[in-house]
Amino acid sequence: MPAGLDNLKHIVVLMMENRSFDHMLGALKAQNPRIDGLTGNESNPDTTGATVKVQPQAQFQGQLDPDPDHHFPAVDLQIFGGDNSNPRVANMQGFVKSYFNQLRDSKHSQKIMYYFKPEKLPVLSTLAHEFAVFNRWFSSIPGPTICNRAFAHYGTSFGQVSMDIFVIKPPFKSIYERMINANPAHTAKIYYYDQASSTMEIVNLLQHQPQLFGTYEQFIADCEKGSLPQYSFVEPNYNDHDGDSGAIIASDQHPDHHVQEGERFIATVYNAIRDNPALWRTTALLVVYDEHGGIYDHVPPPACPPDGFVASPNDTGTGREFRFDRLGVRVPAILISPWVPKGTVIDGRTFEHASIPATVTKFFLGDYDQRSPREKKADTFLDLLTLDTMRTDAPEFEEQ
Amino acid sequence: MTVIRIPKPPRSAFNKNRPVSSLLKTQILHLREAEKKFPPNYHSNIYINAIKTEGDAAEYIRRVTTTLHQLHREGAGAETRVGPIAAAAEPAPKSEPKQKSKPKSRSKTIAKTTAKTKKKRS
Repeated sequence: MPAGLDNLKHIVVLMMENRSFDHMLGALKAQNPRIDGLTGNESNPDTTGATVKVQPQAQFQGQLDPDPDHHFPAVDLQIFGGDNSNPRVANMQGFVKSYFNQLRDSKHSQKIMYYFKPEKLPVLSTLAHEFAVFNRWFSSIPGPTICNRAFAHYGTSFGQVSMDIFVIKPPFKSIYERMINANPAHTAKIYYYDQASSTMEIVNLLQHQPQLFGTYEQFIADCEKGSLPQYSFVEPNYNDHDGDSGAIIASDQHPDHHVQEGERFIATVYNAIRDNPALWRTTALLVVYDEHGGIYDHVPPPACPPDGFVASPNDTGTGREFRFDRLGVRVPAILISPWVPKGTVIDGRTFEHASIPATVTKFFLGDYDQRSPREKKADTFLDLLTLDTMRTDAPEFEEQ
Repeated sequence: MTVIRIPKPPRSAFNKNRPVSSLLKTQILHLREAEKKFPPNYHSNIYINAIKTEGDAAEYIRRVTTTLHQLHREGAGAETRVGPIAAAAEPAPKSEPKQKSKPKSRSKTIAKTTAKTKKKRS
């Protein structure tokens, strides 16, 4: 077993909101050609048929307003470009058309093709260069937040493709319940930012098992004290609100929240782990986004093993049923650990959010049968901790 | 050791009067489902259709989330189906937020962790 896995005691997942791979990391291809980002020639047609190329003009705030549609029918249009034939091929040609549908403003719809220059995202760009960036991490469903986050918690969305409440169906359990049921000594926790931001996993987990939850402040304290659970899932702040010591800016990066605050949040989570040497040595941190938020990415989502559930044509809103046999749009994902070689680019393998419970289960529980078909087939990522000697060159983030 | 400087967002990034997104609307609806199961005297009495801004949404989210934890501690209402999960501590009860105008974000945390790191290394 590699030394990194030998030392591993904690897995931390930070899930941000609604940004595509190309939007956040696409420009890194110019710095490292192994990263499957943008050449600058990728394009979409607008509603007149004119070509709209990708442009490095993404701004932190005020650009993606209204929030780009990323519900199932809109994402279907984004991926298939409006092709309703059968069979059809994913071509990623419908992003501009989809965004145009919201304001019917041709110029504004082009902003969906904008991406960030690396220097605008110093945290994410640095982490991608310094640790392991996934070329093929896709959201689990071509749809919105709730059903995608469900895959991170349960390895399935129980047939849900929308933001509606879903009901857990036996025999599948959340990764937290699996761990604790298997062994009361196991520890797992979801850290939401604070009570005013709360969690996106309300109806099943927060309502019935509030003891599973802690706050971001507790996460920082647990990192300092060395009392972090074996598995931690961290949620950013989802709204602007007043806190005990002043105004608190949303850090989830959901449009139209300020992207820099999300960068700072990622940095604080990283710093909290890195600043405790014992924790840093024994922790793997995954930073990942729940879905693409309607923003352009050039890689067509691949087919995947069906999940055993079927969403009806009414549920999908497209007139077609969905068998959970295609992944959603690609999202940024970075694995951070001192046991990961600098500049790792994971290519030729496909990951999705079901990879999260699959990885946690494999590492902490071993064989575990009662998992969704998608989770059972999902690739896991701890084999990327390949170094025999721990790195001591991890970057440090400081406020400017 | 590479040190990366992180810029702060401007004050104008904070806008609690921003209209609620579909994500926050969903979060409110899901919390409302949970709230329906609270004993009557624990209801927030906030009419969720009147929630239009992030600030209003945050207040509702805070109240229902806090009550949910409170009910769980008291072992009453809200179908508190407690699983055999012993891992997590309850969030500490928080005082009412004080009214301040300066956008702050997490600068203290970054500064604190950074200062601590520097101290350790000096």
